[in-house]
Amino acid sequence: MGLRKTSTNIALPDENVENENREVPRDFTQLKFQILSLEPSERRWAARDLGNHPEGVPILLETLETETVVPVLDAIFTSLQKHPTHECVNGLIRFLSSEDASVRNNAIEVLQSMPNALETHILSLLNHPDSDVRIFAIDILQQLVHQNAPEWLKSVLLDETHVNVVATAVDRIVEIGDSSILPTLERVAQRFAQHDYIQFAVNTAIERIKEDTYA
Amino acid sequence: MLSELDQKSAVADKLVITDSDFEKFRDFFYRKTGIKFENSKRYFVDKRLIDRITATETESFRQYFSFMRFQASGHEQQALINAMTVNETYFYREEYQFECLVENVMNEIAASKRPGDTIRIWSIPSSTGEEPYSIGLYLLEKWPQLDNFEVEIVSSDIDSNVLDKCAQGIYNERSVSGLPARVLKKYFTQIGVGKYQISIDLREAVKFTQVNLAQPTQTRAYRGFDVVFCRNLLIYFDDASRRNAADVFYDALLPNGFVFLGHSESMSRISSLYKVRKFPKAMVYQKPA
Ligand SMILES: C[S@@+](CC[C@H](N)C(=O)[O-])C[C@H]1O[C@@H](n2cnc3c(N)ncnc32)[C@H](O)[C@@H]1O
Repeated sequence: MGLRKTSTNIALPDENVENENREVPRDFTQLKFQILSLEPSERRWAARDLGNHPEGVPILLETLETETVVPVLDAIFTSLQKHPTHECVNGLIRFLSSEDASVRNNAIEVLQSMPNALETHILSLLNHPDSDVRIFAIDILQQLVHQNAPEWLKSVLLDETHVNVVATAVDRIVEIGDSSILPTLERVAQRFAQHDYIQFAVNTAIERIKEDTYA
Repeated sequence: MLSELDQKSAVADKLVITDSDFEKFRDFFYRKTGIKFENSKRYFVDKRLIDRITATETESFRQYFSFMRFQASGHEQQALINAMTVNETYFYREEYQFECLVENVMNEIAASKRPGDTIRIWSIPSSTGEEPYSIGLYLLEKWPQLDNFEVEIVSSDIDSNVLDKCAQGIYNERSVSGLPARVLKKYFTQIGVGKYQISIDLREAVKFTQVNLAQPTQTRAYRGFDVVFCRNLLIYFDDASRRNAADVFYDALLPNGFVFLGHSESMSRISSLYKVRKFPKAMVYQKPA
């Protein structure tokens, strides 16, 4: 006993694998069936392998609706992440309102890695009924180089009623706003006069924008 | 008359890597390896690309790029990967993790096995071998239960040059400077000025393989491990590649298996697959049963 010598009988990784469920050919048609398997480990492998097929995206999205086993869900998200397409973004946005927090967080994480494909969805996300999704939209906005970004943030500052969403927008505007946004920020301070945190955030933002403008 | 060397460097001086060349290379390299070069790495990348263009006697980035991609043997692609990797490593790097391995993790694993069973450890990336050999040394020196089990150490890297060095097991002064003198004396033979070769027993105790962590076809054969070490690679990856790595390790591990990451690397942001285990000396990730 001790450290096993490689010259003798170490189990080479390649040898190990043959006797597992890998002997099933990994073509697309078969993967479509395997992702329906009753065995979670088979579903996980099918989800992993479907990631190599662009036409696997709709199947993966559909599976998300019903799958509950965490390692399988995780594999589905990892595979979807390989396809930053509109189809994928469209499909994932639905799960931003999922009841299941882990699905929701995974959807956020994966969408965050595809800001460009998300661009056309920003407005609808900023108006999403769920305030977490609206905050998420503001985060995405920050990664996008888009000429409308300051306009969009301004509309959040003027119309948004949820305090956390507004607070996020105030934080973000510092990076892209110029002195023309100052009156809007003052409006925010009035609208949320009862909220100390917003007062503080607005004052900091105003100071920093002024510093940048007049520096 | 210019010497051949001068001619080469004169050619190299004229080569320029444009922004769009850089973008093209960066996308290609990312898809191949999971490594994302930020703009700040531009100098590092340009210099190595120019070296490869000169070495292959191609005349421009464009010519080199298509030569490299369509060469049937794939030799140049490998040479390019070898040139772009950062292989910095040394013995007993982040030693507290090896302490945690022998003081906590191995004991937990042993408790779930029978005497005589095999315990399997995968160290990826190996770089020039200091990490997997450190694991071997630590087990030999500091894990009293080693005699009751068979421990297999497999270690992998994408870079074919470093794998040759692993097999030779010859290290310089800097690389062994973290080793206690006693350990150096016991397990190494000095074979030249500032050159030490690790004993044949250790060289035989680690199986080295070439693996690209970003290629599912290459990683899926790696199964049935109790411990994975993956240190100082994820820092070069973006979130998507990290997430993929977390999945690869999950599939490589047995239930209750452990993952050690480098000290600045974390799994919590990239994967919900693991439990965090806080041991006195280190934080380790564990695959749930
Ligand atoms: C800085 S070294 C880390 C060595 C050792 N684990 C340590 O912590 O000291 C990084 C290594 O990662 C390897 N590497 C880079 N991309 C890889 C990939 N996609 N798959 C496997 N290894 C990779 C490089 O070749 C290099 O040897």
